[in-house]
Amino acid sequence: MNSLWVLVWWVIIVIFGYWVYARWAAKRVFEIDEGRTTPAKMYMDGVDFMPANKNVLYGFQLNSIAGAAPIIGPIVAIQWGWVPALLWLGLGVFFIGWLHDFSSAMVSIRNDGDTFGALGYKLISPRARKILLTFIYFYLLLIATAFGHVITKGVSGNAALPFPLLVVIGVAFLVGHMIYKAKVNIITTTIIAIVLIFFSIWLGTVWTIKLSYTTVLVCVLIFGYFSSILPVWRFIQPYNYSSVYVVYFGIIAGVIGIIIGHKPMTLPAFTSWSIGMGPLWPLLFVTIACGAISGWHSLVSSTATSRQLESELDVRPVTAGAMFAEFTISIIAVIVCATAFADSAAYMAKVSNPVGIFVGGLGGAITSLGLPMSYTGALAGMMIIILALTIVNLVFRFMKVASAEVLGDAWSVAKNPHVATIVALVITFVLVKTGTWLYVWVLFGGANQLMASFALLLVTLFLVQKSKNYKIAIYPMFFMYATTVCALFYTSFFKLIPAAFAGKKVFGNLFAAAVAILLIILALVLAYDGWKAFKKYKSGAAEEAPAEAEKAPA
Amino acid sequence: MEEKKKGKKRKSTGGVLGFVRDFTYGMATHGMARHALKQRSSMEHLFILITMGDMLGIPILPPYYSLRLLPHVVPQITTWKRRMLREKDLMDSMY
Repeated sequence: MNSLWVLVWWVIIVIFGYWVYARWAAKRVFEIDEGRTTPAKMYMDGVDFMPANKNVLYGFQLNSIAGAAPIIGPIVAIQWGWVPALLWLGLGVFFIGWLHDFSSAMVSIRNDGDTFGALGYKLISPRARKILLTFIYFYLLLIATAFGHVITKGVSGNAALPFPLLVVIGVAFLVGHMIYKAKVNIITTTIIAIVLIFFSIWLGTVWTIKLSYTTVLVCVLIFGYFSSILPVWRFIQPYNYSSVYVVYFGIIAGVIGIIIGHKPMTLPAFTSWSIGMGPLWPLLFVTIACGAISGWHSLVSSTATSRQLESELDVRPVTAGAMFAEFTISIIAVIVCATAFADSAAYMAKVSNPVGIFVGGLGGAITSLGLPMSYTGALAGMMIIILALTIVNLVFRFMKVASAEVLGDAWSVAKNPHVATIVALVITFVLVKTGTWLYVWVLFGGANQLMASFALLLVTLFLVQKSKNYKIAIYPMFFMYATTVCALFYTSFFKLIPAAFAGKKVFGNLFAAAVAILLIILALVLAYDGWKAFKKYKSGAAEEAPAEAEKAPA
Repeated sequence: MEEKKKGKKRKSTGGVLGFVRDFTYGMATHGMARHALKQRSSMEHLFILITMGDMLGIPILPPYYSLRLLPHVVPQITTWKRRMLREKDLMDSMY
């Protein structure tokens, strides 16, 4: 089948999802009202709460939610065939994905811009906040491990990538210095950065550097350490700023390349209901996390975005719009992967190195523009590594804050940024070195989707409390809860623990299984509290709930 | 004046070009600008806390100096109180 037919599926989902279903839900269920004052206007302080143009916010939201996961997830999930991957991406984003992002922002907007921690405390139970924080710490650990491996495997397996990567890191410091210290015009700075980066990608294909897996991993962790410790303006921000242009170019060139090349889908449409990783349900639904639905988005929607939206009318274009854009990135990933290999065996040989697959796929698509494969491959590789590094440099920073928040009162040493960062780095190093990546990826997807279930639980409780049609959120919530808990349970009890007892990667597999079991326990406790809150709101005790929560100890 | 100019620049003029400009700004720079503002307001609020702490029940500076500084701080008092007294958690520090 020609890959252009996949775009028909994309068009159907976007039109009916965004313009029909989302519009109906926004109007009828959430009753968006242009006249209602948003927190951005009500509490405008020029900093946290500040109305922003919806196009600006759309870019900001997309930049904050789209990492490497919408690309890697589909690449791994094509093991079940590209039809199940496309079906879940389309139906997931249609029924759950956009709703999750949109409603997270709406709940926060209607609650004075409160974050999920505060909302969980108010709507579910006082302990919900602590549970969420603990959950987030391990969720971040899984993200760091999953992406740490992706970067390490990708860079150690492709000698063209280390040089441009070093240049990008150097350019980040240069850009930070030029903007904030030397006060150089931002356009000049941007042009210098773009030229240096794109030139270094070409130079990397000539000056190849071969590095071992452990060397790259240590470098990635050192990178994580500096991102966590240095002021944001010194490194993280200029890095994100400079790298946006590579990603921008990669996506645009990729889309044009796909359309011009319109290659046939060579991988099988469907392989089997059960593969080495496990059965299609529940595992496919967590392997593809971002692109269909992702819990990370609720954190962005309910904090930064909800405090900057100047009208409730902007919520749908910004949040749902960005979700459909991320869905588009996943569709591109499916196409480039399914058209890049001659047969299944060639794909399966590379599945533990998604960067390698993406280099061949997107790099091949961009060659339709007339660029040589050596350059386009390096460009595609840089694009995905940059996206993954963007996540890694945020994750260690968040883990540092989470340690201080969760353990800071009991152990003052947890508040020390160096100690907290080094602990996070050491745990990540151990898990990357001793774990099995495909299973860690499933656990990451499971934790991510579980976070989405928590968000949908909060949305359901909000809708019940306000006597609105909560069914729109409760069924997706049930589905996501059941799927993710089953996926975590299956992977830990049927894969990780048996593998450890068989003597394969004993420590890593048992450690990963322990993390999965902890996440399951936290999810069940939160579900129990959520159920009690649901019954309370349903029986009409809605108004007393916040007062009760306020009286209880934190 | 400069802020007003910047505000005008960010407003969409409509059309595809306006969208592309705003979207690119949102993707690349909005987070940076937001963080710079946060940093500045944190420093300012720390200053107000030291000088006007007794408004929140934390007397740090003798009232004489507080009163001398009061006129400079007045425009920010509402925002400062809201930010100081607002509950914050991990998610606030994320974005």
